[in-house]
Amino acid sequence: MNDMRLTERKVDAKELKIQARNVQVYYGETHAIKDVNVDILDNTVTAFIGPSGCGKSTFLRTLNRMNDTIDICRVKGEIMLDGEDIYDRRVDPVQLRAKVGMVFQKPNPFPKSIYDNVAYGPRIHGLARNKTDLDEIVERALRGAALWNEVKDRLHAPGTGLSGGQQQRLCIARAVATGPEVLLMDEPCSALDPIATSQVEELIDELREKFSVVIVTHSMQQAARVSQRTAFFHLGNLVEYGETGQIFTNPEDPRTESYITGRIG
Amino acid sequence: MSEHISSAFDRDLEAVQALVVKMGGMVEQQIVDAASALENRDADLARSVQLQDKAIDLLEEQINEEAARLIALRAPVSRDLRLALSVIKISASLERAGDYAKNIAKRTQVLLEVPAVNGSPKALRRMAVAVEGMLKDALDAYIQRDAKLANDVRDRDIEVDQMYNALFREFLTYMMEDPRNITACMHLHFIAKNIERMGDHATSITEQVIYLVTGEAPDEERPKRSSVTKLEETEE
Amino acid sequence: MTDASATPAQPSRSRSLHQTDANTKRRNAKEGRFKALGLGAIGLGLVFLVILMFSIISNGAGAFQQTFLQVPVYLDPAKLDKNGNRDPAEIAKVSTFGYAPLLQQGLLQAITDKGISTDLAKASELKNLISASAPNVVRQQVIANPDLIGQTVTFEVLASSRVDGYLKGRVKRDQIALDKNISVAQLDLTDALVKEGMAVKKFNWDFITGSDASESRAEQAGIGTSMIGSFFMMLVVLFLSLPIGVAASIYLEEFAPQNKFTDLIEVNISNLAAVPSIVFGILGLALFIQFGGGTLGISGLKASAPLVGGLVLTLMTLPTIIISTRAALKAVPPSIRDAALGVGASKMQSIFHHVLPLAMPGILTGTILGLAQALGETAPLLLIGMIGYIATNPPDGLISGFVDPNSAMPAQIYEWAKRADPAYYERAWGGIIILLIFLLSMNIIAILLRRKFERRW
Repeated sequence: MNDMRLTERKVDAKELKIQARNVQVYYGETHAIKDVNVDILDNTVTAFIGPSGCGKSTFLRTLNRMNDTIDICRVKGEIMLDGEDIYDRRVDPVQLRAKVGMVFQKPNPFPKSIYDNVAYGPRIHGLARNKTDLDEIVERALRGAALWNEVKDRLHAPGTGLSGGQQQRLCIARAVATGPEVLLMDEPCSALDPIATSQVEELIDELREKFSVVIVTHSMQQAARVSQRTAFFHLGNLVEYGETGQIFTNPEDPRTESYITGRIG
Repeated sequence: MSEHISSAFDRDLEAVQALVVKMGGMVEQQIVDAASALENRDADLARSVQLQDKAIDLLEEQINEEAARLIALRAPVSRDLRLALSVIKISASLERAGDYAKNIAKRTQVLLEVPAVNGSPKALRRMAVAVEGMLKDALDAYIQRDAKLANDVRDRDIEVDQMYNALFREFLTYMMEDPRNITACMHLHFIAKNIERMGDHATSITEQVIYLVTGEAPDEERPKRSSVTKLEETEE
Repeated sequence: MTDASATPAQPSRSRSLHQTDANTKRRNAKEGRFKALGLGAIGLGLVFLVILMFSIISNGAGAFQQTFLQVPVYLDPAKLDKNGNRDPAEIAKVSTFGYAPLLQQGLLQAITDKGISTDLAKASELKNLISASAPNVVRQQVIANPDLIGQTVTFEVLASSRVDGYLKGRVKRDQIALDKNISVAQLDLTDALVKEGMAVKKFNWDFITGSDASESRAEQAGIGTSMIGSFFMMLVVLFLSLPIGVAASIYLEEFAPQNKFTDLIEVNISNLAAVPSIVFGILGLALFIQFGGGTLGISGLKASAPLVGGLVLTLMTLPTIIISTRAALKAVPPSIRDAALGVGASKMQSIFHHVLPLAMPGILTGTILGLAQALGETAPLLLIGMIGYIATNPPDGLISGFVDPNSAMPAQIYEWAKRADPAYYERAWGGIIILLIFLLSMNIIAILLRRKFERRW
């Protein structure tokens, strides 16, 4: 806003990663997402906030076509990833999801070893030529998820034996291992205690260097803490989208203000 | 104190404190410059002090904005909350001190048009130096979270008050001697009062430091009070 | 906030926590009554279970013991090898009718030697003491070892079912007036033989390993061959119903679109699980034996073949397996599917790499319970002829195991229960014990599997 603004909140000069144009999502007869336009920047944490059922999770899932698994869900409009429409007939959702990774609300490691959890993605995508390659990918992913030091001595212990926060970071490592460009996170901390939450948030802040991160969160404070840009959804509409500091100190739309100040559910 | 898990939070806290320190440095410089402009009857320096105040005001605005942002985005609690609040109050005190320096510079330019009063600008300068020292130490105490140093600085306000009281009597004497001195002495008295007020702001910064470190505002009577009553007694 | 304190105090405020009010008392009494009722129901169930187990064991335990007679037999060369050249071919020509008198003679001789007094003077009068299967036992040993001829060898042979029954308390002296197969004198002799240690009760392995016997030789009958029949049927059921059932469940649960057609299939699967088993029997008869074996002429599909029995039981077990497999698949949390899809696994990969392994214990449990149910199934077997008198020796190979006529354990039990001789009644109970042991161990395996693969998510 002025030239003396602290450097780390500079969000300009970032490249456009995802461009959503006139996106409509229908669940059967329900119009879940109404005409949403969003530009998501690279190397930026973008937070989606809004009351329950406002469509933020639905919209997040359209970004890597997780909604495809639901029969009655239809998506209209354009979602461009690096200028390519991901709903194009030629796009295979499996390929898309390797590029747009996802982390879910509840830590959901596979009931396998820590190593196998992380190695699963690279294995099915054939990213490693041999065991050494795979080891390297696993280590890099675990380091990237700030988990390596905690688990390097027990890579073959079951992933489900980790604490909640570690499990969630394992899931992040698993998502990172396939070398995505965008990371979608659907309320990644809602099942975690405050310390684990802080650790995951700190990790998200670090991930920003390499990825474009989109996070859906129920916690406005979390959106405030981790994101550079915030989008407020209400009743399927994108009400306001802008720089996080501006959304939380001086929102333009009265509905945003009511929500963040705790005046509407 | 150990770091936050969120390193960005630490960076934000450090950044806003850096702004406060920067602002403090600017205000110290303003006080020194204003006093030496007065002593040396330097109109240019006085003018530049007057102009420089704009930057201090902008800096205060920015600190408040950053602090508000910090509170809005990080929801600080405990020590962090006290820090955010103290930053706002300290910047307000600094801004007021800056305003007094500007006022001194303004009065200095008026004083240039009247004959000088002997000796008193030197005493004013000594007083300004004392206040500047207090401010500097208050900010050091703030940076180092040093409640003891802060308390020492608080005690030093008495000296400034005494210097003011002495100057007050001196100006009274000058004005009684020669009514032509009244204009200059009135200005000089206001300057002395301004410097004394700066000392009070330095004191209130130290109170913020104590609050920040201990979590409690210092409850004992401010030393200044007694001197004021003493002054009032002498006036009667 | 200040208003709240202004409202009149709640009635509960004034009451002490140390006194229960009427409402609480009523509720506690209700709960107490319900608990007592539940305990009563469980107690009643346990009582019935104990009665059932007691009657099964008390009735069936006897089948595992059998009375054997120690008979020293003089293998008379004049009768067994008239030409004296020990030619196996010639020895084999002597039928069991040639051995029976020798056995009786041997027994009589032993009685005389021991000085047991009896009214029975003729060897043929001892016939009723010895099992009709005994001469064959002796004959087989002689054929195997012709050098025994001319010696006196002590054979351990089965006592007749009446003697056995007498020793087990089934046959009573005052009830045998009209029985042609036993007389009071023979029972007296039996008592004497027991005293001399010539008649002993022993554990009867033949009951577990042997095959069925004719009506008159209850003491010889065993459940072994029908056990083999059951085993081959279970093989067919396992190798058909598990893959078909799991594949069908996966398709229905994971891939099938939600529409009227799949709804119809689902309803029908549930209905199939409830169809009486005899209907499956008649379906098997029409489809496999008459159409498959008859019209199409497929050679293995014929009446009484375990293959056909297995196919019918497969039809019966499939709905059970499909229902339990679908339940197991449903129980796998969607988060695991999401996780797999989220890292870019295809639907197929997510199912086979993650969902199926997690559902496996549930699937296996369902399968084992389905198999256990199929193992105990009798009605459909009646209609495809897997019942009847199968006294042949066990099948001699894998293929013959599938296609040679055989019976099955529950059918064998049913068959025995039908027979007139009370000795078979005991064997039917004994068969039930064996069947229950099988079912129980299968259920235990199911429980262990479930334990071992305890939910790990």
